[in-house]
Amino acid sequence: MKLDPELLARLGSLPVKARVIVESALSGQHRARLHGSSVEFAEHKEYTYGDEIRHIDWKALGKLDRYYVKQYEQESQLTAYLVLDASGSMRFGERGLRKVEYAALALASLAYLVSQQQDKVGLLVVGPRGGDLHVPPRAKGTHLADLLSVLDQAIADDDPGDASPAHAIDRVGELARRRRALVVLASDLFDPDDLTLGALRRLRAQHHDVVVLHVLAPEELTLPYEGLTMFEGLEGDHKLLANPSAIRAEYIAKMTGFLDRVRTELGKAGVDYHLTPTDRPLDETLQAVIASRRSGRDRR
Amino acid sequence: MSFLAPLMLIGAAGLAIPLVIHLIGRRRARVVKFAALSFLIASRRRTSRRLQLRERALLIVRMLACIALPLAIAKPFTSCASRGPVVEGGPQAAVFVVDDSFTSGYRVGGRTLLERTTEQATRILQQLGPEAEVAVVRASEASPSPTELSREHLRVRDALLDLQPTARPADLRRALGRAAQLLAGSSHERRTVYLISPLTATALPPGEPPWADGGPGLEVIDVRGGSALPNLAVTELTVTPDPTAGNRGIAVTAQLANYSTVAVTGVMISLEVAGTTVARGQIDLAAGERKAKRFLATLPPELRSAAVAVAIPADALPIDDRRVAVARLRDELRALLVDGDPRADRHDDELFYLEAALRPGDRAEAGTVVTKILPADLDGVDLGQFDVVVLANVPALSAPRVAALSTWVRAGGGLLITSGDHVDPVAYDATMLPLLPRSLRDPIDTAWGAAPNERAARALHLTKWEADHPIFAPFAEDAPGLADARFAKAVLLGPITDSDESKVLARFTNGAAALVLARAGDGQVLLYTSTIDRDWNDLPLLPGFLPLFQESVRFLARRRAETATGTLLVGQSQVLPTLSLKKLEVRGPDGRGAVFEGARLDNRQVVRFTAAESPGIYRVIGTDGTGATADRDELAFAVNVDPRGSDLAPAPPSVLPVSGVAASAFGRPHTRRVELWHAIASALLVLLLIESILIQRRR
Repeated sequence: MKLDPELLARLGSLPVKARVIVESALSGQHRARLHGSSVEFAEHKEYTYGDEIRHIDWKALGKLDRYYVKQYEQESQLTAYLVLDASGSMRFGERGLRKVEYAALALASLAYLVSQQQDKVGLLVVGPRGGDLHVPPRAKGTHLADLLSVLDQAIADDDPGDASPAHAIDRVGELARRRRALVVLASDLFDPDDLTLGALRRLRAQHHDVVVLHVLAPEELTLPYEGLTMFEGLEGDHKLLANPSAIRAEYIAKMTGFLDRVRTELGKAGVDYHLTPTDRPLDETLQAVIASRRSGRDRR
Repeated sequence: MSFLAPLMLIGAAGLAIPLVIHLIGRRRARVVKFAALSFLIASRRRTSRRLQLRERALLIVRMLACIALPLAIAKPFTSCASRGPVVEGGPQAAVFVVDDSFTSGYRVGGRTLLERTTEQATRILQQLGPEAEVAVVRASEASPSPTELSREHLRVRDALLDLQPTARPADLRRALGRAAQLLAGSSHERRTVYLISPLTATALPPGEPPWADGGPGLEVIDVRGGSALPNLAVTELTVTPDPTAGNRGIAVTAQLANYSTVAVTGVMISLEVAGTTVARGQIDLAAGERKAKRFLATLPPELRSAAVAVAIPADALPIDDRRVAVARLRDELRALLVDGDPRADRHDDELFYLEAALRPGDRAEAGTVVTKILPADLDGVDLGQFDVVVLANVPALSAPRVAALSTWVRAGGGLLITSGDHVDPVAYDATMLPLLPRSLRDPIDTAWGAAPNERAARALHLTKWEADHPIFAPFAEDAPGLADARFAKAVLLGPITDSDESKVLARFTNGAAALVLARAGDGQVLLYTSTIDRDWNDLPLLPGFLPLFQESVRFLARRRAETATGTLLVGQSQVLPTLSLKKLEVRGPDGRGAVFEGARLDNRQVVRFTAAESPGIYRVIGTDGTGATADRDELAFAVNVDPRGSDLAPAPPSVLPVSGVAASAFGRPHTRRVELWHAIASALLVLLLIESILIQRRR
């Protein structure tokens, strides 16, 4: 079953939507968890047929001339930080969900999933003029409701600022200290100086797992407008009178170049990158994130 | 600028409409709040200026279109000074006299004068309006004229546009007279003749005006546009057989005229014989000068006649830069030799050396037919069959024979009289003075009483000959073949006779005359005071003998050969003998001609060809009773343009009729109204087209 974002928008409160998304995404699956990659070494075991070749400890082979396989144990509790870019540019969206709403729903469903696993989940909302909203990571049952209400508040904010998510990501690095954490950023990454990409690279350097949901409206990918159009910016007072058909090809080329650059740079840094148009079903997005986390864990 | 309907300019307030639409359009632009504006701005930077320009251009085009519409409806017009005719529409009768003579083929600025003429005529025709009755009278000589006025303007316009320059000169006086006749039959009060022509003086010779006072009005349009029309032309061409240039020789004389006010130098002139250029020359002509250029040429061996053309480089009027003629070799030179001292031994015969000189090697192609007779046979001879008669050592003739000979000479015959023992000066003076350039006296004999070894030293020699005379043309200055000849005996001459004029062409070293030439009527007499054989001199043994007497006989024959080739002008008729042919076809240079056969040819001695409308050579092709068809070269003839049309000097206004408006119409300046709404309406259409394109590109 696919969850059309437009249908989802008509559902009730955010917790309900999050649960629907998670249940839709996990329906038919035997066991699904959101993993971090922060697993710890447990012991050596002599290699037997059927063990993963890639888990062979080659240093031990050099010292002892015997094949040992490393065995790992997952960290006892996952700590997830959800970062929502609620700046002005995220308020865009002409049909169905606006980008901030889509991002909030995606993060809400992740929060729901994490809290279901009894893991800790925290939230940072970047963009409100009054300052960033921060919900520290907790695993308590009532914590999820607090977190979702903050998300609701972020969606309802009609006076967003133009802050970059970069400082929030840096702050997550500080909050997590030396403990590995799963950081999920939902943003359009419209950052004039690529500050956000730099912050994400730094976060990865601290060995945190980083997932980026690159949320873009379909209109931003195709520029489907016709006729003389006055474009007004969502951050700042920029206006532009243009004939979209005259500049469409060049715009799409620039947008494609931007996406390629983001994908390449984040891929090099080891960031789990997901291009997420707002017309994509949210359960698909959630499944994609879960699947990528699972495959990432399997590779280790 | 003024307006016929100025109230319509109120519509110019519509100028505000596009401005308002433009401003509203800007406000009506769809507003989209867009997050990725930075990408749009980066993309648009290159196209925004173009879009802005396009928007502004659209605004300007729309504003211009909105102002052009009321402007066109208001019918603006302006006035300008014009030298053209005053043309008003409405009921009237008008005749266009258009000059389609060969002069109208003159090119100015890449266009012929006739093109200017038809352009002016069609413009006036349009301005006259549909109620006008009109006709076109062509001004070229002998061109057909319409019989009535017509309202079929389209047909008249087509007739004007179909006009081509003819090869005839213009006769404006006749054409104006015909136009006046046509207008006299019209019931309209307004009757006008539009004379459209370069108005050359030759087309309007002084004479009676084509109509008197009370005649139609005359509007004159001078299509020369005030510019001079310089022209070089070959105005005459004469071709005559010239025996001095050989038996196939011809003399071609072309006259060139410079019809301009500036001198021209180095004009190339070329002579074509049978289609091949055989001679070229250069000629300088002062302003208004006419000059003759003479060529000598020979016809190709296989031809007895050939087309001859003299041409100069084509100028603005090329039709008169070339003139043609048909050159025909006359029959062979026919010489009657009267032998006054016939001998059984050929070498001793009086005429042995002369006959050998006139027919060297007895060759048929020598060009001379020699007939020898004795003096007694002269009575039975038709002198008209001969070109030259040689009386060689002939005793004095009887008075009737002398009279017959004198008549023949005065009619153009050539007579050569040579001396000898049978020439009795007394008897000659008694009967033959009408033929002699000088009376004769007793001969001088240098050998008389001289010892054999002294005879050579006492002999006479030829000297002081007229080196420029055609007889001596083959000789070099010292001419050893002549100067070395020794003359032992020669007849002395007395006073001048009653011949028209005489001239000593050569003398002996003692001052006595050796060759005397006299003109008698159209003929000539050459008196040689020594013998034509070796009796009195040894000239026949020297190389100078043959050329001297060949040239002498040819020179004497020339008077009869100089029959000028007839000149036929375009439009003139040619009379052709039927020669008992069954069919006779005349084919002109343009392929057109006439065919005479059946009733047009049977039982006729001659036929008249009247369709020579193009200059050039007209071939005559005959079919005889056996059905064989062949070119009859002897009947071919040349046709040239009338040289009067080559002179493009303008006619003075005084030669035009003085009735109506003619007195002031010769380039009369007046104010002309120029309506502008056509141009504005055209501009409006263009603006609307541009507006559509701009809108299309904006989408």
